[in-house]
Amino acid sequence: MKGFRSVFVQEWVILKHNSTWWAILGLLLVLTVLAALNGSARTNQMAEMGGGLNQSELQTQMALQSAVARWEADPEGDPPSVASPGALGLSVLSHYTVLPPTPLAALSIGQTDVQPTYYKVTAHPALSFLNEAEIQNPLNVLAGSFDVAFVIVFLLPIFIVALTFDLMSKEKERGVLGLVLAHGVSKTAFIIAKGAARALLIFTLLLLVGLAAVVLTEPDLSSAAMWMRFGLWFLIVSLYAFFWFALALFVNSLNKPSVTNGVILANLWLVFVVVIPALVNVAATTLYPAPSRVELTTEMREATEVADQESAESREAFFFDHPEMVGGDANADQFFLQVLATDSAVERAIEPLMEEFDAQAQLRQDVVDLLQYVSPAIMAQNALNAVSGTGTERFTDFVDQVLAFHENWRGFFTSRIVKGSRMSAAEFDEIPSYAHQAMATRTILRSTLSPAAGLAIFVLILGIWSARRYARYPAV
Amino acid sequence: MILTVARKEFREIIRDGRIKWSALILAVMLVAALATAGQRFADISAERASAQEVVNMQFAAQGDKNPHAAAHYGLYAFKPVTPLSFFDTGVGSYTGVSIWLEAHNQNDAEGEPARDATAIARFGELTAAFTLQMLLPLLVILLAFPSFAGEREAGTLRQVLSMQVAPVQLLFGKALGAAAALSVFIGPILFLGLIGLVFAPGGLGYLGHGVVLVAVYIVYALIFLFLTLAVSANVKSAQAALVVMVGFWAVSSFVLPRAASDVSRLLYPTPSAVSFQANIDEAMQSGLDGVSPDTIVQQRQKQTLALYNAETVEELPINFQGMIFDLQEKLGNEVFDKFYGDLYAIFDQQTGLHQAFSIGSPRMATQLASMELSGTSLNQHLAFTSQAESYRRDLIEGMNRDITFNSEAGQADYRADSALWASIEPFEYQPASLGALLARLGPSFMVMFLWLALSIVAGVLAVRKVKVTLG
Repeated sequence: MKGFRSVFVQEWVILKHNSTWWAILGLLLVLTVLAALNGSARTNQMAEMGGGLNQSELQTQMALQSAVARWEADPEGDPPSVASPGALGLSVLSHYTVLPPTPLAALSIGQTDVQPTYYKVTAHPALSFLNEAEIQNPLNVLAGSFDVAFVIVFLLPIFIVALTFDLMSKEKERGVLGLVLAHGVSKTAFIIAKGAARALLIFTLLLLVGLAAVVLTEPDLSSAAMWMRFGLWFLIVSLYAFFWFALALFVNSLNKPSVTNGVILANLWLVFVVVIPALVNVAATTLYPAPSRVELTTEMREATEVADQESAESREAFFFDHPEMVGGDANADQFFLQVLATDSAVERAIEPLMEEFDAQAQLRQDVVDLLQYVSPAIMAQNALNAVSGTGTERFTDFVDQVLAFHENWRGFFTSRIVKGSRMSAAEFDEIPSYAHQAMATRTILRSTLSPAAGLAIFVLILGIWSARRYARYPAV
Repeated sequence: MILTVARKEFREIIRDGRIKWSALILAVMLVAALATAGQRFADISAERASAQEVVNMQFAAQGDKNPHAAAHYGLYAFKPVTPLSFFDTGVGSYTGVSIWLEAHNQNDAEGEPARDATAIARFGELTAAFTLQMLLPLLVILLAFPSFAGEREAGTLRQVLSMQVAPVQLLFGKALGAAAALSVFIGPILFLGLIGLVFAPGGLGYLGHGVVLVAVYIVYALIFLFLTLAVSANVKSAQAALVVMVGFWAVSSFVLPRAASDVSRLLYPTPSAVSFQANIDEAMQSGLDGVSPDTIVQQRQKQTLALYNAETVEELPINFQGMIFDLQEKLGNEVFDKFYGDLYAIFDQQTGLHQAFSIGSPRMATQLASMELSGTSLNQHLAFTSQAESYRRDLIEGMNRDITFNSEAGQADYRADSALWASIEPFEYQPASLGALLARLGPSFMVMFLWLALSIVAGVLAVRKVKVTLG
């Protein structure tokens, strides 16, 4: 490749003195740092809140335990009412299950603002807590967050396009290309040298930006898990940047004026970042719409009413959830058995609908997982969410773990309610406690590397196609 | 003269085909969005209406019951949709669609559609409003960016100006030509949209909203048109005009809304759901002003006994339990009013920040206006929840009044019958009138007209300068 070195060096010198370039790169750096700080403020706030959630629950639990212990030490009169597993499980105790943030969580808010990061588990049916939501101004959720993933997926392409849309067309318009070729520099060398100089600059900057974001937001810089995630992050960001780079090169190979290149690239940005995602979303929701939440509400009500009517007599004796008003002769154990019966009747009735919800959600996700390969922007967003542990997959896994824990928690109390036994002070120590199982590295790799492979294929196709076009590229 | 310029500009745009692809994309998305909107409206309005009917029927048919049991059973209020709800879904995907109205509790709206969406929905939902807000400006930019700069590069600008065309005439002529080209692509679709609105069930009542919406988007397009012309007249090359305008569009449409949302979170943080609930529970236990509800109930009992000259509640001519329920309910309502009032005040501050940011972003001003007119703004969601809440309070009060006056002390087996349930009027949401919406939209309209005025002035100044440099 004759002349590669000299063109490369020359290009490097030109770029070094180009103030527009430095302005654009500086802006990218500033935006990323702001986004990273913003993301880490959100993540820290969430981690702090999540950490304190079970404190008052555990305090209550301990106070009740010591009340029971006191009575056990000196058993006089009736056992305290909190020794009743029904009172404990069905009205007093609850347990927060918290999804801890993973390393790099600050770089992508992902689904964190629409999916709960904690649930208040009780011994009642799961639906009673699964629908709880964090307080948020919906206007803010609608607008989305200014996080690093946004800067990468939405803004980085604009920066790259702004820097490369006239890569070849400008040389041609100024007559430089013909001149250079006349000096015996090979066309391939010229293109590759120009591209490589820019690519090198952009990737150095991306690496710096990424490292800056990590240093600013990560509490533990010695964690191997964090650096693995950062490696994946950089891989995805690089491939995504490469894609836009290759796209700009390809558009340049069409041999059109710079202005036309700009128009084409602006349209392509729109298609990949705005249009295709909106269409894929419509496709998924039209093919597999979620069953109606409204119908779920009415079904649940119907089921509750039927169950209540079946047990009307005994329920009425408890004055509808106010057993304390009936006085001492009401049998509290009987009341809690009744609550359990109603709970399970409601659960049975809505189970088919809930299964439909899950099945449709899975099918919808499958469609989106498949169609993501149509747009590099979707692939990049999904992969960046997965790297930060804020993607759909992790939230689904969290709900599964919560449901398993709920079974466990509920089983602990219901088995005792059904047996009619009392809680001893020692048994309080056996009350289950939630421990979140981190996702397997294999899963994280799969959900990041497959979009990454998709991106690589895009880059490869564009690269080969461009190379073939440049072989026939007219010098003047 | 303006018309001559406009005709030339129009012909050139149509012949040039530089906006062929973006116009096609916009048209296809707009048609798809409007068609899905019609379908979704038909499906969801039927679903909500029938659910409301089922719930009302369930309440009426609950048989003989203690009124307090009926109050616990309660009712649901479903948020109705209008034919415009799917033109712009606004905050609709992130707000609940039904509220359980029961004794003792003010519940939040539940069933946010976003919970069932995949992560991809965050790129934006395909609605006509989204399409217009996102794609229309880009189309306008691509249409108009070479208007002056391109002619300057080609050297025709000097010729035109030497032919005694006033620069301002040139500006408005080019604007008119571009606007005409634009309306060829989008006019028929929007017109069909309005026709569709008229024929949608209940749509005629929203025709006024629809017309104002179309006007809003026309102003939005004009802002970008004059801005692009101004930039095009100011800069040296068409290429520079394109880069400047696409940059402005990206920052004002994509960056600013997100920045507004994060800054509003930082400046005016909302409480977490857990601490919000804990505060309510705490206030319910010990009272807002430090006097516990139990104490207040005891005081009321003493007063009532004194009033009737009675020794025990059994001697009272009414069922005092009903009064206790009622009193507890009222004390609870004060607590809800305080905490929800505080929360909504924070929401207001956050929304105010979005409004402030919209000064820098025509898209944000347009979006705020569009949501309001489509009935999918935060304001209107809160209006629904507040109407549902006052309905709940009336409902529960009615139940407690029945216990107080129609049963005796300690009569836990008292039953009311269907006559009481039938006396409850069904819940019906009263949407704000168009006039009220327009009044509320003052700030957004102001921002839009400021932008429009500013961009026209910038255009005029820019073309004047063109003449000076050439003269």
